[in-house]
Amino acid sequence: MAPASVTTSAPTRPLAGRVRVSRHHTVGAWVRFAIITVFAVVTLVPVATVLLLAFHPSSSGTSSLQGWTLDAFRHVLTQTYIPRALVNSIAVSLVSTVLGVLVGAFGGYVVSRSRSRFIGAYSLSLFIIQALPLVVFIVPLFVLFARIALVDTLPGVVVVYVAAGISVTTWTMAAYYDSIPISLEEAAWVDGCNRLQGFLRIVLRNSLPGLLSASVFSFLLSWNDYLAATVFLRTDSVKTMPVAIQQFFQQEGADWASVMASAVLMVIPPLVFFLILGRRFSVGGITGSLAGR
Amino acid sequence: MSTDQIASSPTAQGRHPQPAHRRFRLPDPTMTGLLLPSLVLLVVLNVYPLVFALRQSGRNGNLLQAGEFVGLENFSRVLSDDRFWHASVVTLVFTGVGVLGSAAVGLALALSFRAGMPGAKVLRMLLLLPWITPGVVAAATWQWLVSTPASPARSITRWLGMGDVLFLADPTLALVTLCVFRVWASFPFMLMMSSAALEAIDRELYEAARVDGAGTVQRFLHITWPLIRKPTYISLLLMTIFTVNDFGSVYLLTGGGPAGATVTLPVLSYLLVFREFLTGPGVAVAVLLSVTLIALSVLLHRMIKKVD
Repeated sequence: MAPASVTTSAPTRPLAGRVRVSRHHTVGAWVRFAIITVFAVVTLVPVATVLLLAFHPSSSGTSSLQGWTLDAFRHVLTQTYIPRALVNSIAVSLVSTVLGVLVGAFGGYVVSRSRSRFIGAYSLSLFIIQALPLVVFIVPLFVLFARIALVDTLPGVVVVYVAAGISVTTWTMAAYYDSIPISLEEAAWVDGCNRLQGFLRIVLRNSLPGLLSASVFSFLLSWNDYLAATVFLRTDSVKTMPVAIQQFFQQEGADWASVMASAVLMVIPPLVFFLILGRRFSVGGITGSLAGR
Repeated sequence: MSTDQIASSPTAQGRHPQPAHRRFRLPDPTMTGLLLPSLVLLVVLNVYPLVFALRQSGRNGNLLQAGEFVGLENFSRVLSDDRFWHASVVTLVFTGVGVLGSAAVGLALALSFRAGMPGAKVLRMLLLLPWITPGVVAAATWQWLVSTPASPARSITRWLGMGDVLFLADPTLALVTLCVFRVWASFPFMLMMSSAALEAIDRELYEAARVDGAGTVQRFLHITWPLIRKPTYISLLLMTIFTVNDFGSVYLLTGGGPAGATVTLPVLSYLLVFREFLTGPGVAVAVLLSVTLIALSVLLHRMIKKVD
């Protein structure tokens, strides 16, 4: 098989959604539009509230800041440890995403291509571990980490997030590899590639959408986690955003202006992630993977 | 050389032409190398802690000391504690309403978008926002919306003549609020899952059914549902697991309150270990929850595999 065919026959998104080129919307379509628009408006009230209170703090009823202002942002960025928390969160999430996706991309290949009994058992244990509450791992890991001085450090939580994400990254990658025809690798083997080269040059190269989906999951997992962060991160200088924000609003006389300004800062990275990925992001992979084995 | 390798490779056929029977063969070094990182992490960070937790649940130690072996004392203590059973009921309600509610909303939205309507793309993107919103941000906003002196929800109930409703101070209302919050936070996931399942259905099937005179309901029951049944069950299973284990929503929105009324099992386990320093009973709760979840997910996994 010519190398050129590798790229052309790589999996692409189904075009089903684009079949209708132009068609007038029926009355039913407009009714659906009206209902869903109302639903969306109600659903987005909390999101709009974050923006309102961040830029117009006096609406919260607790802030002395007047009118539309950026003072709440100025305050959290200069007077609090939010900048530090933001940097910590970004560092922790990026490192855990890269590590988690790498581990999943390697392991997923074996899960996808191997039919051995051992891999079957491995796949099942991933499934079982995914079902367990994080709290059951947290307590033993706390004891373990206390011995090796990983409590209250950022590498400590990175390790927890990588471990917590293994199942999802492995499945997502395995599901994506399943959609890449084995014949492509076989052709590469005939051309003199070994198994590893075939994986790296043929399979991994054509798996960008799978890698992106796995990255989104890993990133959101570590970005949003509160439980591990609150258990392991004690000192202000190592706190991540969820713990830092929670301190603003669970204290007496919550400082809502600071909460909401920090909230806006915290929502930006995942939002950027989604806007960049746009339509390429798909969650379908997980079901496909679970259904297949 | 390469043909030789293919022939002897245990996995050369990949998944597509499945071998007639599975046999143990010497592992391929490349495959072993690729699997090793995740295998090591799995053993060190998942399997070992799990075994350790089992050990802790049989001892009267704390976070610093292992303590002495006390047999099943922690379990009998937990099982005879009203708080455990109350938390179990709360977990069931929270999970049941959360999963079914978000599945119903997500599927209804996905079907509407699929049927075609103006502005579908923009609305779909906007409706994903609750899912992207970090739990701590969402919980903070909801708290402000329903339970601060300036909160709009309370102004609305006053305006409606229902008086000043304290959403998070009443045991029942707090649980209701928590369930609504969970549906709000997780329906976008079900919307994405359902949309992905629906996208795989060939539109020509509907055209054919329409020609044959099938109505909307019939088309759904006889074409759509059989084709999305399996992915839907799988998303329900995943959603159930996510919801049971959702520590953040509960802890951040209600803190388990008022007076422990909305404590779910993960929260109970956390509070016992880190607030009351009862490590043994706390870990016992986590172990009981884990055993239930393992049984449930293995059972459901089997059932799902049997579908079609």
